Amino acid sequence: MNISVRPPEGRVWPADADAAVPYWVYTDPETYAEELRKIWYGPHWLYVGLECELPNVGDWKTTTLGEKPVVMVRSAEGEISVVENRCAHKGVKFCQARFGHSQELICPYHQWSYALNGDLQGVPFRRGVKRQGGMPADFDLSQNGLNRLRVEEVNGVVWATFSDETPAFREYLGEKFWKHYTRVYDGRKLEVLGYNRQHIPANWKQMQENIKDPYHAGLLHVFFATFGLFRADQKSAVDIDDEGRHGILISRKGEQEKTEAMADIRNFQGDLVLEDPRVMDVVQEFPGEETVGMITIFPSVILQQQVNSLTTRQIVPKGVGGFDFHWTHWCYADDTPEMRLRRTRQANLFGPAGFVSADDGEVLEMTQQGACGSPDEHFILQMGGREIAPTDHQVTETAVRGMYRYWRKVMGL
Amino acid sequence: MSAETLTRPAAITRDAIRDLFDDYYATLDDVRLHDWPDFFTEDCLYRVIPRENYEAGYTLCTMQAESRGMLKDRVTGLTRTQMYAPRYYRRFPTAPRIVAEGEGPDAKPYVQVRHNLLLVQTLIDKTSDIVLSAVCHDKVVVDEGRLRFVERIVVFDSEMIPNSLVYPA
Ligand code: FES
Ligand SMILES: [Fe+2]
Repeated sequence: MNISVRPPEGRVWPADADAAVPYWVYTDPETYAEELRKIWYGPHWLYVGLECELPNVGDWKTTTLGEKPVVMVRSAEGEISVVENRCAHKGVKFCQARFGHSQELICPYHQWSYALNGDLQGVPFRRGVKRQGGMPADFDLSQNGLNRLRVEEVNGVVWATFSDETPAFREYLGEKFWKHYTRVYDGRKLEVLGYNRQHIPANWKQMQENIKDPYHAGLLHVFFATFGLFRADQKSAVDIDDEGRHGILISRKGEQEKTEAMADIRNFQGDLVLEDPRVMDVVQEFPGEETVGMITIFPSVILQQQVNSLTTRQIVPKGVGGFDFHWTHWCYADDTPEMRLRRTRQANLFGPAGFVSADDGEVLEMTQQGACGSPDEHFILQMGGREIAPTDHQVTETAVRGMYRYWRKVMGL
Repeated sequence: MSAETLTRPAAITRDAIRDLFDDYYATLDDVRLHDWPDFFTEDCLYRVIPRENYEAGYTLCTMQAESRGMLKDRVTGLTRTQMYAPRYYRRFPTAPRIVAEGEGPDAKPYVQVRHNLLLVQTLIDKTSDIVLSAVCHDKVVVDEGRLRFVERIVVFDSEMIPNSLVYPA
């Protein structure tokens, strides 16, 4: 592990408060523990999965929110429950498979059984055996169920929160982001195309930052720049919500041509041609001229629409210096076979072996390596100035500044 | 051997298959990436797919190519556009087991082979890591007088890829 150096006493923040961030935000175990409490288990909606992953009553899926294992289960017709995957008796993580189907949830240790919604139903030998032993007379089944989370299913996506204070999901997003969200999650039925899973040895916030940072997209991702999928000279925008926590990068597909803006990209490959260009067979499918909408919903997920590739990218923090990254690639249930194939092909651009997103995982690991030796130094966040406001260009770190302003507010730092 | 005998699956001997895999893995371990697509037929199918997708019938792959051209594009992407930390990959295949013989849709006879694969990565300053623990389902044909893969499906058990999968399997 890469946690050895302690941050300075009092966790000093640089004087240039909005435009610099100390590296201890990536390395300090106490900060991380506080993040779990105040952010992950605080008043925030966390991504759990897609509604279509559980077609039938009794279907369940396990996942992790923050560091807490949970079960998302279709507990009744038209109802999805999210319960902590922790037996009320001794805390056993009772569901071990990724997916399953059962009429009730049973813990393997002493076989306490729970209804699909988490209510405790049965405790073996509750009355003892031959009048010996058993639970005390005042043991109340109804008071000892699984911990249930608040749940909202919103246009095919299931969200949960540990906090009673979290506002309704639409309010949590804000009207602006509700509009961005419903552009792709428009109420049509979704269907899973498949999963990708990777562990990235970097602090979880770096993934949020990476997707809030359009400055890197046209530079690091030479494949994108080369084929015009994400270019600095395209008409584009960065939007952030009023709190600064959610962000979206909006862009258009351009052409493979050398322009003045491309001169700054040292390794631009203007002569590169594909032998089999089917991976670049892109069709316009959403209203408007934009072909890219990368949404970061703080803190747990990235909702990707990159040309015809649609994924949810769930962040599961694993200690201060790493996170698991779960990709769910999906399509619309009424997509043609051609569209499914197109989306599947474009998945070669993304995921742990993606032509563009493998770059991201690699560079985040390098960032963590650079940060962990110098927690008391800080990084520069001045691209596009010190403002925190939507822009109509990509040469900015405004959304990253927004996230840290919000983060400091929640963390009380 | 005459061209005629080569077109029968019987020409695909155990020894010849063994040589094919030895060459294939040596080429990849030595990072001779530009030689890699040549192990496949023009209309090949190449997949590196998580076991959970494979078993659920999902076609979504971590790495996929539907032609030799796409394999070449993978090499181009890798060598000219992608950024990654320097690393060594080493592949540990088990001996190939012939599981079936058959005829493809183009009436080309093939032999179906299965073996396990461990793919180990070493990064600078790090201990070696297992990237993939996998089973490979391959279909081998005679193509232009040599053995080639018409299909290679690498189904990996690994639940979590240690960061990225940079080189092919
Ligand atoms: S720990 Fe679950 S029943 Fe005892
Ligand atoms: Fe990126």
